[in-house]
Formats: sequence, structure tokens, C-alpha cells
Amino acid sequence: MMSGEEEENAAELKIGEEFLKAKCLMNCEVALILEHKYEQLQQMSDDPMNQVSQVFEKSLQYVKRFSRYKNPDAVRQVREILSRYQLAEFELCVLGNLCPETVEEAIAMEPSIKTKGRAHDDDAIERMLNDLSLIKKFE
Amino acid sequence: MFYLSLIEHTLRLPPHLLHLPVDEAIKSELETLFLDKVIAKLGLCISVYDIRSIKGGFIFPGDGASTYTVEFRLIVFRPFIGEIIVAKLKESDASGLRLSLGFFYDIYIPVHLLPTPSRFEAIPNTRNQGRWIWDFGDAEEAQSEEPRFVIDGSDPIKFRVDSVIYPSIPLEQPENSKPFAPMVITGTINYDGLGPVSWWEEAEMIQEDE
Repeated sequence: MMSGEEEENAAELKIGEEFLKAKCLMNCEVALILEHKYEQLQQMSDDPMNQVSQVFEKSLQYVKRFSRYKNPDAVRQVREILSRYQLAEFELCVLGNLCPETVEEAIAMEPSIKTKGRAHDDDAIERMLNDLSLIKKFE
Repeated sequence: MFYLSLIEHTLRLPPHLLHLPVDEAIKSELETLFLDKVIAKLGLCISVYDIRSIKGGFIFPGDGASTYTVEFRLIVFRPFIGEIIVAKLKESDASGLRLSLGFFYDIYIPVHLLPTPSRFEAIPNTRNQGRWIWDFGDAEEAQSEEPRFVIDGSDPIKFRVDSVIYPSIPLEQPENSKPFAPMVITGTINYDGLGPVSWWEEAEMIQEDE
């Protein structure tokens, strides 16, 4: 159940409903959140730099540098697409952060996606990586 | 890994914030209490994301300020074992590497978690500083003028989290000791794909040539 203000924020950030339920965040999502917050501070005060802590500033720098996706629509799509593949949340975020290009790379980065009993054969993983790379192409 | 964590906390609003609207005062107090702090098992607190509910406002007998119970969400950084993270080189000496994310820099790659075999090339006239070189390939190549796999900080380094500890605050700290680190990450780069990213870009290029 979202309050009116939350709905507004979500719409402004355009990250989407899935995100609001999420507990793990990808670097690109954190970048959008912190950037948005920084802009709000800029509107409220003449000197936003005074208002933010070192950790905030450096975190924003880091996530901007290491985000594969910058556009808010693309960021939302990444989570939506990965959510279709029955991944645990942290697996979704690791893949969204590191963007492996091959099935081997994906399994090396996050071996748990291939454990027995899960519906992830190589074909499924390959399809998932292809879907991700399409977002990158059209960003 | 960054997380959005739902927290419930009971806090006392100090009198100097009483002129502000309650939600602003509470936000300010939450930021003072949590930002830039490490809470064991929760991680490093980066930012207050939102406040979900504020209850209370009771004044306890003998107290000059109100107490509230607040439900809010924090953005935290909390690495997990096995996570692969990209970082920059901060220091390099005979005991290994120290890496930094900018906002967090208590990350250590000890000698035994460097790729094997590796050797250390000390920089003369510095206190213990130097660069690490991975002796991959045949002996001839290793002896050549400019070794191929050097860790010199010129590009980002991918590492895998080996352990995360939250040491307790010491009662006393001897003079000249390093500042207390509330969260310490130990990492490894002894696997395919780990280490300076340029090492693996080369490998990809070689594959394309074949």
C-alpha cells in the first residue's frame, strides 16, 4: 500500500513498482536514487554540497561510475526482465551490476544460478543475457 | 551490494530541533544517528530513503524532549561472501593490496589470496611500498623487461569477497595505530576474471584473434 507521496516519488524516479518491494538494489538504481536526492537538495538550498556527507558524495560517484544503465526506463526494464527468470534478489542484482556477456561468465560470477533443481539451463541463461544486451543497445 | 533496509528505531528528539516540523526534525536526527555509520550485520548506512511512519511523541517524566518510534528505510552497503565487486587500488605493500570504493576503503587482499604465483617488487626508498606482479606464463616471459600482469592501480580491480568482519570497538587504542575500522572486507583475486580488468580484456582480444 503506497501513500500519495511515495507514488509521486516512484513516478518521478520512474524506477517502478518492482523496485519498491525490492530489498537489494543494483548500482544503477542507487545512482538514480542518490542523484534524485542530490537534485532535491540543490533546489532547496544554495549550497547542496554542504548538505551531503562525504559518504553520500563518494557513493554517488561510485555508483555512477559503475552503472551499466543510466536511463531510468532502461533501469526499470533491467529489473523487470531479470525478475521473469526466477532469480533470487541478490542474484538479480549481481547480474544487473556485472552484465556478463556469456553463459560461462554469468555462472562464474554467480554460481548459484546453476545449482541443481533450478530451472536454469544454459539456454535460459543465454536468453536472459540476450534480453539484457538488447536494453543496452537501445539505451 | 546495496540494500534497502526497513528499520524501526526509537529516538529522542533533542530540544534544538523542536522548532522544525516533526518529520523534518526526525529525518535530521535519523541522519545524524545513522549516516556514515556502520551497524554490525546491517552495513554502512549511505542515505535515509524515506520515513514510513512516526509514532509516539510522548515525553517521559524528567525528560525535556519527546520520544518517537520511527519506521524508515535506509540505503546501506553490505557486501556478501562470494560477491564480486569492482574497486580501485589504494595501497600496495609486502602484505598485499588495499582497495577502495571511494566511500569505503577497508578492503584488503592479503598475499595468500593473490593469484599464484605472484611476486612483490619493492619501490626503493619507500616504506614497504611496491607493486605486485603475477608470474603467469613461461619463465622466459616472466623475466622480460616489462611483465604482462602487473597490479599498478592504472585500472579498476575486480575482487571476490572472501570474508566480512565487524570488529568490536576497542576500549583503548595504542597511539599511532591505524584508525578503527568497523567493517573490514577481505577479498581474493585468485580466480579467472579477477584482478585488474585490463588483464582480461587482453584475454578476450586473444580469443578473437584465434
